[in-house]
Formats: sequence, structure tokens, C-alpha cells
Amino acid sequence: MRSNDTDFRLSAQLGFQPLEKPRPRPALRRIARARPPKFAPRRGAWLTWMFLAPAVVLVGAMMYYPMIGTVVESFYSTSFINPHPQFVGLALYKKVFASGEFGQIVWNSCIWTVFVVLFQNLIGFLTALLLNQRLPTTGLMRSLVLLPWILPGVVGAILWRFMDDPQLGLINSFLLSLGLVDHGVAWLASTSTAMAAAIGAAVWKGFPFSTVIYLAALQNVDQEQIESAIIDGAGRVQRIVHVVLPSMREVIAINLVLTTILTFNYFDMIWVLTRGGPENATHIFPTKIYELGFGEFRFGEAATYGVFSILVLALLIAAYFLIQRSGLRWRTR
Amino acid sequence: MRNAVALATVLGGLALPASASAEDIVLKFWDNQQTESGLSQYQKEAVKSFEAANPGIKVEVTTIPYPEYQQRLLTAVQGGNAPDVSTIDQIWVAAFAEAGAIDPLDDLANKAGVKADAFFPGAWASANYGGKLWGIPFNVDVWQFSFYNADLLKAAGVEPQSIATFDGLAAAGKKLTGNGKYGIGLFAHKGEDTVVVMDSFIFSNGGKVLNDDGSCGLTSPASVGALKYLQSLAPYAPQGVANAASGDMRELFLNGSLAIEFWPALEQPTLQKSKLNWDFVDGTAPAGKKSIGTFGGWNLVMYKSSPHMDAVWKFIQYLTREDVNGKVVDLIPANVKAADAFLKANRKGPDRILEQLNNAAPRPLSPHYLEVSNIEVALAQDVYGGMDPAQAAAKACKAIDAVK
Repeated sequence: MRSNDTDFRLSAQLGFQPLEKPRPRPALRRIARARPPKFAPRRGAWLTWMFLAPAVVLVGAMMYYPMIGTVVESFYSTSFINPHPQFVGLALYKKVFASGEFGQIVWNSCIWTVFVVLFQNLIGFLTALLLNQRLPTTGLMRSLVLLPWILPGVVGAILWRFMDDPQLGLINSFLLSLGLVDHGVAWLASTSTAMAAAIGAAVWKGFPFSTVIYLAALQNVDQEQIESAIIDGAGRVQRIVHVVLPSMREVIAINLVLTTILTFNYFDMIWVLTRGGPENATHIFPTKIYELGFGEFRFGEAATYGVFSILVLALLIAAYFLIQRSGLRWRTR
Repeated sequence: MRNAVALATVLGGLALPASASAEDIVLKFWDNQQTESGLSQYQKEAVKSFEAANPGIKVEVTTIPYPEYQQRLLTAVQGGNAPDVSTIDQIWVAAFAEAGAIDPLDDLANKAGVKADAFFPGAWASANYGGKLWGIPFNVDVWQFSFYNADLLKAAGVEPQSIATFDGLAAAGKKLTGNGKYGIGLFAHKGEDTVVVMDSFIFSNGGKVLNDDGSCGLTSPASVGALKYLQSLAPYAPQGVANAASGDMRELFLNGSLAIEFWPALEQPTLQKSKLNWDFVDGTAPAGKKSIGTFGGWNLVMYKSSPHMDAVWKFIQYLTREDVNGKVVDLIPANVKAADAFLKANRKGPDRILEQLNNAAPRPLSPHYLEVSNIEVALAQDVYGGMDPAQAAAKACKAIDAVK
């Protein structure tokens, strides 16, 4: 319930000028003086909770219940053939750590996430700079650039499987026609090239997302600052480094965190391209969890990998909020 | 009140198929589809005949594409929503039995006179685990037949029958590889096709994947010999063996750049539609020995959670009958007599296929089979990747023996 004071302040904020600040009526004055009981709920709070309740229940049931269930399951030996959970404490964690595979999956996940995020954002930013120019075909190019992003993930992955094919693939045909190789290279079948090939495909699929975000940010860069820089004699690169990038730093930081979370969780591209092979060279957390859970019915171990995945994502989400908060501070300075 | 009655009527109608009355038993039957053969339609037609012959029993058929089947069935069983009856892959039988998801069928089979000799030996063996019968063989096939491009073999001066022996196949591979053509379509991606082909070479060379006591048998001289042999074939295969699947080899075979591909008889309908001059031989074995293929196929099982055991058993018997089995499968009927008629009507070289089916061996019957299978895929990738086969086998055995 809004008081007259609030109405007055609101009117002032909105730019209306009330003739004079209205004086509270005597009865209302008494009510205003009376302090509410310490633990009495305010009517507004009930209303807030009523509106929030469906979302809270939904998020709790669909997100937090399975997440807590995953953590609990990681302490139990559960598999399809042993459906009655047996408490084993940290035994599954010890087993996972000792397997040797865990280290490789952590390493693969880091390489995958770092390079996909790096190139996706770099190419996304450069493309955004290009599309921010006033060219006759800019509208068409903006639409075309989005194409990889709007393709379903599995379709994009199948496309790249064909592109990378050593016998029939477009990439090898191109390299052979240029004389750069003397036979088709099996990009996805070699432990030394499979991860790079998968990263390339993921960057192609994901860079339009970064482009869209950066393009929106570029259009908000203060033109007066750029014009001042031009007058001061700054070249194109100097303008980008000293004017454009600093004014986009908040967007860049949030985009980096968001694409890191999305990439760390990326499943379909690697699953369709290599299923984590050859010799586990491209196995990352999501593919390993799927393989253990649905390929081998080992739910307990899948949950253990899931817990590590949740921890990493929790750190990234915390980073996201920290950046967002510091961004608010930058703005208010 | 009238609205409540109307609502109850509508909800009641939604709960049961349109033709089912409240007294009818409704069986949920799940199967997977591996080919574009219109299986779902054939099964629905067969179900109509079953329903006509068994008043009071209705069957809901759910046909799921093969790649999704394992996940959907597993999720349903784990979540307590199992169908009444379904097909399960031969390699899942032990796990489903250990999980307590399915019922043994020994008593029912004995009473009804359902016997092993009506089915292929390897298929019947795949339905038995721990001394009990857990399913009735529904359909079968065998990995692998060596399909060859007769024109390419002729041009290279290779006698087709020679590729049925280890030495002959290696010699043919050498002659057939070059000028943009490849001799032998090997593959080692993460998939069961990789495992069954490797198993077939191991079986044919006298080796085993698991010994009778459940320990790993891959380090035996016969098994390592087969792995060495497979490694020696790698130079005659298209690049990228480690990420290649049987489907990739099919594409190369169909466009005429691959001379020999490994597939089960399931491949024939695809080849029949092509313009290739093709034929096949039964697998490959050392000279003087007979090739032993790896059995593939599906068994019908009854879920413990089903309240309609009698109706389920009637339905299983019906689907595996000689006159019905051939009409409701997209592989080869598991019923031997039905298979004979099916192969004569639909496949080239029916006698050769029957011979290979009668001689095939099932994959290891272990509740941990899926883990063993993944270890075997890693073994294949190690071997084709150039690792010493004895070392690769020792590494695989260490992993297999650690599986609990």
C-alpha cells in the first residue's frame, strides 16, 4: 500500500509537479505513527510470494531437486543392475579420481571451453565490427551470419561430420585441389586433430551468438567519444582499443562468462562428431556423463562426474554475478 | 453432475484405445526399428489378427527408432513405467535379468512346448543367463558377411571366394587398394558394429572375449593373433578408421570406391536398390577353418511389473510362431522355419546366410556387457591406431577384469 509520501515522490520522479505536498489526514496520521507488529507479514509480501510461488516451485522441482538428487546419488553405488542404492561414501569419487580418465576429461573440457570461447568471441567481435559498417548489403549479411546459429545443433554437427570426412569431405577436397595435402586427412579420427576439428565446428556454430551481442553493444558506443578520438588523431585500431573496447567491457565480460557456461555444457556437437573418441581424445564432461548414465547404466559414477560439472558451473555462474555487480558499480561511478 | 459424467467419459476414452472396452486387457508392446521397412505397419496388422484370435486382449504397439530405443526403454524401466512386453537387445538380457526387471520364462516355455530347436542356437543361447531362460528369440542377424563389388574384384584379378580366408582377404586388400579405391572397409568408431566385427575375427581365430569363468580372454594367443591380423589390414582401409562407422563404409561401397564392406544380411535391401554388381561370402577365417560370426538380434521379454502375465505370454508365443515371425521383424526371423521362408523370399544366397546363422556365436553374456563393449571399442582404436596388439589386449583385459 503506497503512502501519500510515496505518491508525491513518484510524481516528482516522473516529472509531474503536484501543487503542494498533501498533508496526511488525522486518521491516517495515527496509523502512520503506529508501528506494525514485529513479525506481522506485510500485505505486499504475501502478494509477492503468491506471484513468485509457481516459479519457485517449478525451478525447485525441475532444477534444484534433480541437482540435489545428483549430489546424493554420487554417494551411492547405483546402476541399472543394482537398482537398490548402496551407500558408499566417497568411494565413487576415489574411483573416478584413480581412473586416469578423469584427468583427461578435465583437460579436454578446459581445452575445449577455452578455445571455443576464445575464437567464438574473437570472430564474433570482428564480424560485429564488419557488420557495424554502413555497407549496401549489411542487412543481408546480418541475416546470413545468423544461419549457423539458428541451425539445430545436431544438423550442424552432421554437416561438419560430412565436411571433415577424409574421403568425401569438402575440406579435404579444397586442400587437395590446392595441393596442400596429398591424401584426405581424417580430422576426426586422429587423436592429434580431432579436438581441433571439433572446436572449429563449435566456433562456426556459436560465433553468430557473440556477433549479435557485440553488434548491439557497438551500436551503443558513444559516437562523440569516437569523433573526439578521430579529432585527436587516433587511428582505427587505436579507436577500437582505447574507445570501443573500454566502453564494451561489461558486455564482453558477461558474454565471455555466458559462452563459457554454454560451451562447457555443449553436448550434441561432440557426441555427433566423435562420441568422445578417438581414444577419449574429445571426451568432455557432458559426453562422459551421458556415456556412463545411458550407455553403461552406471548412474552413480555418472552422478559423480555430474557433481564436478555442477561445481565448475557454480563457479562460472558466481563469476557471472560478480561481473554483473561490478558492472553496476562501473555504471554508477 | 452432468458435466462431471461427461468429463469422466472423455477421460475414460483417453485412457484406453478407441476400440478397447473397459474389460479389455491392454498390453503395451515396445519394439525398435532399424530399417525403413514399414515394420510398424506390419506389426499393427499382425496385432489385429492376434486381437481377433484373443478377444479381451488389446495391444498398443510402440515402435521407436533404434538410436533412441535404449535410452527410452531404460528410462521407462528405471522410472517404473516399463511396458508389458518388449524386445531387448541380446546383449541387455543379463543386465535386465540382474536388475530384476524381467521374469524368467522357463516354466511357461516348458508348459507350452517352446523349445530351443525351433530357434537358431546362438539366438537361444543369448536368451539364457544364469541357468534360466529370460526371453524368446524374436529376430536375428549375424556380423559379418563380406559384401564385395564383383566388378572391382574382377578388374583386380581377385577370386571372390579367396576373401573368405585370412590370407586371401589380406592379399585381396593389397591388390584392390590404390588409384582412389580402397580394399577393405574397416571401422572403429564408438559403436557396437565395431565390437561385433572384431569379435567375429577373434571367434573365427579360436579366441574369446570372456573366458567361461568371466575373466578376460583377449590376451590368449588366438585373440591377440586376430587383433594382429586386423591391424595388418589397416593399410587397405579408407583413412579415418578410428572414427568411421559401418554406415560410412556403406557410402563408399555404394559410390564404387570401396571393394569389400562388412555388414550383416540386413544390408541386402540397400544393395538390391543399387546398380552395383555385388555378392557376398560368409565372413573370414584362417585357411581350413570355418568363419564364426557374431550374433546380433533381439529377444522378447516379459516385464515383472506387468499385471497381465498370461496375456503377455500368449502374445510372445504368437509373435514367434512360424507363420507370424517373418511378418513382424525387419531383421531375420529367429524362428528357424520362419527364417528359411523369409530368406528364400527376400534375400540373395539364403543357404549361405542360414549356414552363417547356424554357426554364429553370441557376444559375452554378462550383466556388465555394455562396459565390456566400451572397453573393446577402445581396444579396436588402440589396435588400428598402431599400438602393439598384445599390449592393447593386456590394457583391455586389465580394464575388463576391473569391471564390477
